[in-house]
Amino acid sequence: MNRRQIPLLRESLTLVGFVILNITLICAFTFYPLIQGIQLSLYQWDFISPFKIFVGARNYVRMFGDRTFWQIMRNTFVFTFSTVSLTVLCAFGLALLLSLPLRGREWTRGVVFLPTLLSGAAIALVFNYILDDRYGMLTQFLHIFNIKSPSFYTDPFWAMAGIVVTMVWKQAGYGAVILIAGLQGIDHTLYEAAAIDGAGRRARLWYITIPSLAPMLLFVVVTGILGAFQSFDIIKVMTNGGPINATNVLVYNLYERGFVNFEAGPAGVLTVVIFVIMLVLTILQLQVGARNNAV
Amino acid sequence: MDAKLNRRQFLRAMAVVGGSTLIVACGAQATSQPTAEPTAAAPAATEAPAATVAPTVVMEPTKTSVIDVTYWGSFSGGLGEAEKAMVDSFNASQSNVKVNYQFQGNYEETAQKLTAALQAKQTPDISLLSDVWWFKFYVAGALQPVKDLMAAAKVDTTDYVDSLINEGTRKGDIHWTPFARSTPLFYYNKDMFAAAGLPDRGPKTWAELAEWAPKLMKLPIMAQPTPDAAATTPVPTIAPDTKLMAFAHPNSASYVAWLFQGVIWQHGGHYSDPDFTIRIQEENGVRAGKFYQDSVLKDKWAYNAKDIGADFLNGLTATTMASTGGLKGFEKNAKFKVGTAFLPEVDQFGCPTGGAGLAILAGLPAEKQQAAMQYIAYATSPEGTTTWSQATGYMPVRKSAVESDVMKQYFAASPNAKTAVDQLAKTQPQDSARVFIPGGDQIIGKGLERIMIGAEDVATVWADVKMTLEETGAPIKEAMKAIEG
Amino acid sequence: MPSNTRPRISLPQILAYIAMAIVIILVGLPLIWMLFASFKQTDEIYRMPGTFFPEQPTLMNYPAAWNAVPFGRYFANSVITTVVATASKMILALFCAYALVYTKAPKWLKDGAFLLIVAALMVPGQVVIVPNYVTMSMLHWADSYQGIILPNAATAFGTFLLRQYCLGLPYEVVEAAEIDGASHWQRLWLVIMPMAQPALVTVGLFAVVSEWNDFLWPLIITNTNEMRTLPIGLYRLYQTEGLQNWGIIMAGTVFVVAPIVLLFVRSQKFIIEGIAAGAVRG
Repeated sequence: MNRRQIPLLRESLTLVGFVILNITLICAFTFYPLIQGIQLSLYQWDFISPFKIFVGARNYVRMFGDRTFWQIMRNTFVFTFSTVSLTVLCAFGLALLLSLPLRGREWTRGVVFLPTLLSGAAIALVFNYILDDRYGMLTQFLHIFNIKSPSFYTDPFWAMAGIVVTMVWKQAGYGAVILIAGLQGIDHTLYEAAAIDGAGRRARLWYITIPSLAPMLLFVVVTGILGAFQSFDIIKVMTNGGPINATNVLVYNLYERGFVNFEAGPAGVLTVVIFVIMLVLTILQLQVGARNNAV
Repeated sequence: MDAKLNRRQFLRAMAVVGGSTLIVACGAQATSQPTAEPTAAAPAATEAPAATVAPTVVMEPTKTSVIDVTYWGSFSGGLGEAEKAMVDSFNASQSNVKVNYQFQGNYEETAQKLTAALQAKQTPDISLLSDVWWFKFYVAGALQPVKDLMAAAKVDTTDYVDSLINEGTRKGDIHWTPFARSTPLFYYNKDMFAAAGLPDRGPKTWAELAEWAPKLMKLPIMAQPTPDAAATTPVPTIAPDTKLMAFAHPNSASYVAWLFQGVIWQHGGHYSDPDFTIRIQEENGVRAGKFYQDSVLKDKWAYNAKDIGADFLNGLTATTMASTGGLKGFEKNAKFKVGTAFLPEVDQFGCPTGGAGLAILAGLPAEKQQAAMQYIAYATSPEGTTTWSQATGYMPVRKSAVESDVMKQYFAASPNAKTAVDQLAKTQPQDSARVFIPGGDQIIGKGLERIMIGAEDVATVWADVKMTLEETGAPIKEAMKAIEG
Repeated sequence: MPSNTRPRISLPQILAYIAMAIVIILVGLPLIWMLFASFKQTDEIYRMPGTFFPEQPTLMNYPAAWNAVPFGRYFANSVITTVVATASKMILALFCAYALVYTKAPKWLKDGAFLLIVAALMVPGQVVIVPNYVTMSMLHWADSYQGIILPNAATAFGTFLLRQYCLGLPYEVVEAAEIDGASHWQRLWLVIMPMAQPALVTVGLFAVVSEWNDFLWPLIITNTNEMRTLPIGLYRLYQTEGLQNWGIIMAGTVFVVAPIVLLFVRSQKFIIEGIAAGAVRG
């Protein structure tokens, strides 16, 4: 070993020493189970019976030929898309409003941010009660105008609307805080220059604020997608995926097939589907991020 | 920090005062499934004082160390209290075995936990399993056959109600001992029936209920229960948009497919044959589905309730179908007189059994098996089942208990409980599609949701359901062949 | 008060204040509703039409909820699992991020490790629940603190965030410390940790929030009341009380929500800045 290699080896050992626990835990509890899940997708098994039958691609063929699966894909898309777009819209509006020189805006930022920190299960219970079509707050409010509350329990459209609203209420503040920080980071001379050039309020918003905010917006969109895509507690507590699968999304379905029905094969297929979607999303994010010179 | 501590202390102090409220609150669990947590806030308080421990007569020559038995269950609220009391009294009755009752959530969650535990080979010793789950564990070879254990524990197996013990008997051995067994029961609000000028009995047929429905639905909704007994006169509310309904359907999560099992029989149909041939899509099945659909969407005297128990107790529906296991909860919490009746008929009578039984997990050491059996023998003994039945409304599972003087006196005093037992004689075990196909209950239940909520064509839905049942049922059919030949 | 010297409020400002008020109402109302309901008696909850303010406020729902399920125990479990998992996440992520940025190990080694971290970001936590349960049980750690904590003891997201943050820090400072003879250990604790504090706070905060509120994993891995955490306890309370007793359920919800609200009220500024800084720089 020559003299140059000794520090290199020492550095390598240091690296290994510093990362080993972190990496081991991540491998043990993320990659290893993922591989197991993929393996399960090729079997027919109920998790406990001694009969674990290799069926090859049959689980996939069945899953992709199943009407319910496509309904669940559609639900996942509708839920994620509406949650994220509403979240971003609300967050952007809130950020613009709470960047104005107003008294008490710090305090308001706090109020708006608070729901992000609260337990999804707890929030879901509160909204369950608010949206209860007999005794809830919404019913009472609508009653003043003699309007009957829609049923968030039996109407597929309103059930979906209910969980979307709950998610947006919970997530918007987080996006707002990120965007406010982004707004603060915009170089003020840009606005001044634009004002001199005679750019109106809308032009400034469109040509300066939004482009400067793009990396933050992307961040909010991505975290929003991840959050919506993975939300389980709110759906479990509020709708259990019902009525008639109207709010059954991929992650909930995975729980249902794996932990309620004990169908290891379909659960494995869903694991793969979810993983592939995440992979595509991540690659897209990295590409867009690279183009924007962010992330 | 001081302020926080004081708040906590304050809450503790309040907890003592609040205990009585809780009992009222807890008993309210009265839907067809027992979901939820037993109170475990102060287990010490509920344990029987040492003085009442009966001297142990049993010969136990070795220096006895106490054998711990873990028991997973699904009872909560009032049912959970009753179950806890059963375990406590067992623990107090002898000193060799100590049973630890651990609540796992509703029937589904208990089955989920058990499945997971089996993978991990870390099972409890006894588990409560519902009618739709025990079979799956039997097929997986996870349940201990208990005939020999029962013989050793001197349990008279012939004394169990035949239909109930037979359901858990496979290949000549008992795998699932009846414990909290129930049937659906027709419940009605006697006060409303009187106010509507209807006779004080359940409808003989569903058509009769439909005939009565307009009269019931004309009644004003009464203001909801006031805790103080002084306010006995209900005040009509001014809410113009809420209508009293004649009947409430539960959703799939609350086992609508169990109640519909009776209804499809009443129409002369079946979910399936014992050999897993699916028959739900046949003409009578479609008729039964159409009947449920019309009750909600066309004739509109019934609706899909979020919680049938709450709505019935709160006077939003005049009648409902629910488990006998909900009887005590209803009687305790209703501010009106609760009536019970046999299920209404269509072409004929039809009513399934249901509920849950106890199973010992396979592969335990002999002494654990014996200890577990000791508890099961205790809980399903004529005395045990009598106590349990009176506390909850579940069926007594022993013939000698049904015929005992204690029970007879009880039936005389509690006619509603008698309805349930009388109906038991006319019940039959459920079709294989619901109880033997894993998830079959939910597959049918979700189909019913599509019919009643989604307004989909019944024949189409049943065709889908048939396909799913056949697909899901295929593996268990194979497995059964391998096990039972 | 010298009101005459105050600048006049313009119309847009008034509109902005109105908008702000509406925002506060929309966000605050559900929580107020929860709080008020927790003081209502059952008959008031089920009155139609109902009330917004409790007419005859009662404290009885709180002891009732506290007794219905062992909230004290749940609370302790939540605190223990949250504190341990958060500390572990922060420390491991910091170590890992430091090593990935500042050691002079071969590039392939560093890139390889980093790739693993990035890849882990793509696996949603729910996907791995079933096999993880089996692993935990084989170790006989189902229904134990290890079982609840271990799968959450490391964070790919936090590691990623900290690494990106460290890349943005001036490298010269570390170099200077190295020249002064500081070991990696010293450089990590004395130089990087103070500088990376905003990102660390973000990581810690995400960890606290996700541990405290975690639902699916503790739901599955815990079997007994001795081990259940607050959100699971609340869910059990909901199942116990059904739709019968919103007052009691809302009181239980207050138990779960209140600690986080108090924590937040105490350190609101710190938290918001931490989140923003971490996200913006990362």
